Amino acid sequence: MHRTSNHALASAMLMAALAPSAMAQGAAQEIRIVLPEQPANLEPCGTIITNVGQILSQNVVEPLTVIDPETGQPQSKLATEWTQVDPTTWRLKLRDGVKFQDGADFNAAAVVFSVNRMVGGKITCSNIAKFGDAKLTVTAVDDLTVEIKSDKPQPILPTLLSVVMIVSPKTAANQAVNDPVGTGPFKLSTFSPQTVVLDAFDGYWGKKPEITKATYVWRPESSIRAAMVETGEADLTPSIAIQDASNPETDFAYLNSETTAIRIDTAQPPLNDLRVRKALNLAIDWEGLAQLFGDDIKRASQMVVPGINGHDDALEAWSYDPEEAKKLIEEAAADGVPVDTEIKLIGRNGIYPNGAEAMEAMMTMWQAVGLNVKLTMLDVADWLRYLQKPFPAERGANLLQMMHDNNKGDAAFTIPIFYRTSGNYSTLADPAFDKEIDAALATTGEARTTAFKTIFAKARKEVVADIPMFHMIGYTRVGPRLDWKPDITTNSEIPLANIAIND
Amino acid sequence: MFSYIGRRASHSILSVIGLLTLVFFLTRLTGDPSALYLPLDATAEARAAFARLNGLDQPLHWQFAEYLKDLLQLDFGQSLRQNRSAMEVALEAFPETLKLAFIAITLSTALAILVGSLAAARPGSLFDRLASLASLAGASAPDFWVAIVAILVFAVGFEILPTSGTGSWAHWVMPIFVLTLRPFGLLVQVVRGTMLSALTSPYIKTARAKGLRRQKIIFGHALRNSLLPVVTVAGDLATSLVNGAVVVESIFGWPGIGKLMIDAIIQRDFAVVQSTILVTATAIFILNIAIDLLYAVLDPRIRY
Repeated sequence: MHRTSNHALASAMLMAALAPSAMAQGAAQEIRIVLPEQPANLEPCGTIITNVGQILSQNVVEPLTVIDPETGQPQSKLATEWTQVDPTTWRLKLRDGVKFQDGADFNAAAVVFSVNRMVGGKITCSNIAKFGDAKLTVTAVDDLTVEIKSDKPQPILPTLLSVVMIVSPKTAANQAVNDPVGTGPFKLSTFSPQTVVLDAFDGYWGKKPEITKATYVWRPESSIRAAMVETGEADLTPSIAIQDASNPETDFAYLNSETTAIRIDTAQPPLNDLRVRKALNLAIDWEGLAQLFGDDIKRASQMVVPGINGHDDALEAWSYDPEEAKKLIEEAAADGVPVDTEIKLIGRNGIYPNGAEAMEAMMTMWQAVGLNVKLTMLDVADWLRYLQKPFPAERGANLLQMMHDNNKGDAAFTIPIFYRTSGNYSTLADPAFDKEIDAALATTGEARTTAFKTIFAKARKEVVADIPMFHMIGYTRVGPRLDWKPDITTNSEIPLANIAIND
Repeated sequence: MFSYIGRRASHSILSVIGLLTLVFFLTRLTGDPSALYLPLDATAEARAAFARLNGLDQPLHWQFAEYLKDLLQLDFGQSLRQNRSAMEVALEAFPETLKLAFIAITLSTALAILVGSLAAARPGSLFDRLASLASLAGASAPDFWVAIVAILVFAVGFEILPTSGTGSWAHWVMPIFVLTLRPFGLLVQVVRGTMLSALTSPYIKTARAKGLRRQKIIFGHALRNSLLPVVTVAGDLATSLVNGAVVVESIFGWPGIGKLMIDAIIQRDFAVVQSTILVTATAIFILNIAIDLLYAVLDPRIRY
């Protein structure tokens, strides 16, 4: 008996000695998040980059507006109200009584500083890409009012302002920083090659978050991240692989704002023939293909997910009809369309789980209806040459695997890039369609929604410049300590203030 | 000896310069970093601004001349990804890899010498068969598989070790175990082979005839004469570990230079690629000189 107790004691001591500090949960209000990738830097102008945004956005730095994940509409944050003075000018009222984490006051001068830092060209600013080629100027009207002017009409400026992160005026204006100071509920404590630590900011203007400290670590292996939450080493991990999302109590599936598709190069024969493009859509066994991506996947009929202004729930996706596909190809061949031409299917390595397998399957299905499709898998840099203009001159007939992410609430972040002649990804050259798109972009409210729906319907039924595949599902594992669920914005931000601790 | 070291060092410096020149031009062949650093929907203007900001719009020979000029002032450039000195990034990661590599190679060599020598002393015995089996398994098992299985067993199953990361001594256990396994497997084979040959040599028969103790014969006489090939193989394995244990660093979240280098190559972070290669190349040259000197210590016939 005595011997057994000694063994038990020895085992307990051994376990205690072996138990690493990381395994022990810290204080009750502290959490640990494990991300798939190390943030390369913590520059607030790069919050649209997933691993930067998931740490900084709405935690350390805050934007002028935020997008409601349910409605896609802009809500107030550091700007409390906004009015359109004329088609190119918006006037914003700023929140009063806000302080930066370094003690500086938040006011019109700080907004002017942040916008100028963003558009000034002195630092690499990823967020500015959301404004396209628009030129912004900002002026302070009074201490808590600013006017933002664009060189072209910006009917959705309040939506775009969700990527304008406001930083302290003491931030370096001419160089990127790794020690951001914002107005958010958390301030940066440590940024090392192993961790980022955020501590609650006592002077926060809004509701005090339940969490007092968040530590971020990173592991590229999905199974390791899932195991870390399972063992209690971490409390939350986004973007785990479907095969690791095996525990219904902790693993949440959510529509993650990404849509997969194949872009058809409509300028190249035989893809310049509408019948061939329709046949490409009809030749795919969509139910079979969906099995590669799990039960929660949602079939897409357009390039934006539900919840984004302009998404049309009523728009039907293409169905599987190989006989009709064959018939259309035969008709095209009879009219002299060179349907035998080799069509290059360009995939991208690692674009999404099972992406290569999906391309293999689609190639086989297209070959089965008589199209001469050959798959080429490229790494991201080579693949980008085909995605963006100017396209390679020698590209020939090609289909391009792609994935589009729009979580910014409005189809304006999608339609012009894909369908306008000048769009960076567009292979179309249709002035009439351009006019419709421009008109839609200039509208607001219900008219804007209707106009976008019309464009998606036309893109699906008449233009057929792409093959929308699926709205993708993300899986996040949330440990039992936390009361929080992921949503469409989780890929770009994880606001700690929204996370509660279970009693 | 000092003149030998001086000669080797000067050759090494020339090799490093050649290597850095090659790396400079090869990295530039991988393409334009702006394609990776800016969002997919960035405008052409934004891409041009990025290139201008980072001097990537200049002709390649001009960029190389600037690089050499900066190098002479010990300025190794800025990391495009991390917004800080590339050499600072490399030097931060390298000790982490070096510590792992040192422990793993020391442990695997010591264990392999012990196990290989004992196995060779009784060829065909149960111990010899088990040692051969274990060494073959160790040499053949893929790192990533062993690492993940170890995590599932010791971290998830028994919950006695952390899954990954750094911080306490327990964090070292699994990375070192995984890194030790393959060198151990290979070295056991080498030690066993060379010891078998040494133990049948005439001088060993003489030692036996003189009545020397078995332990003295194995570890005192046969082993010393068998160590040269072991040092060669262990040196080679140490070199690959110093270069970075990419798989182990990735799976265990170890902030070493191997993963840093691979990420920098993928991300076209040219200055970091150049700095990590400079650091590891220098370490490998020093390691090679040390191995050469070790030969002289082990074999009195070798003199520099």
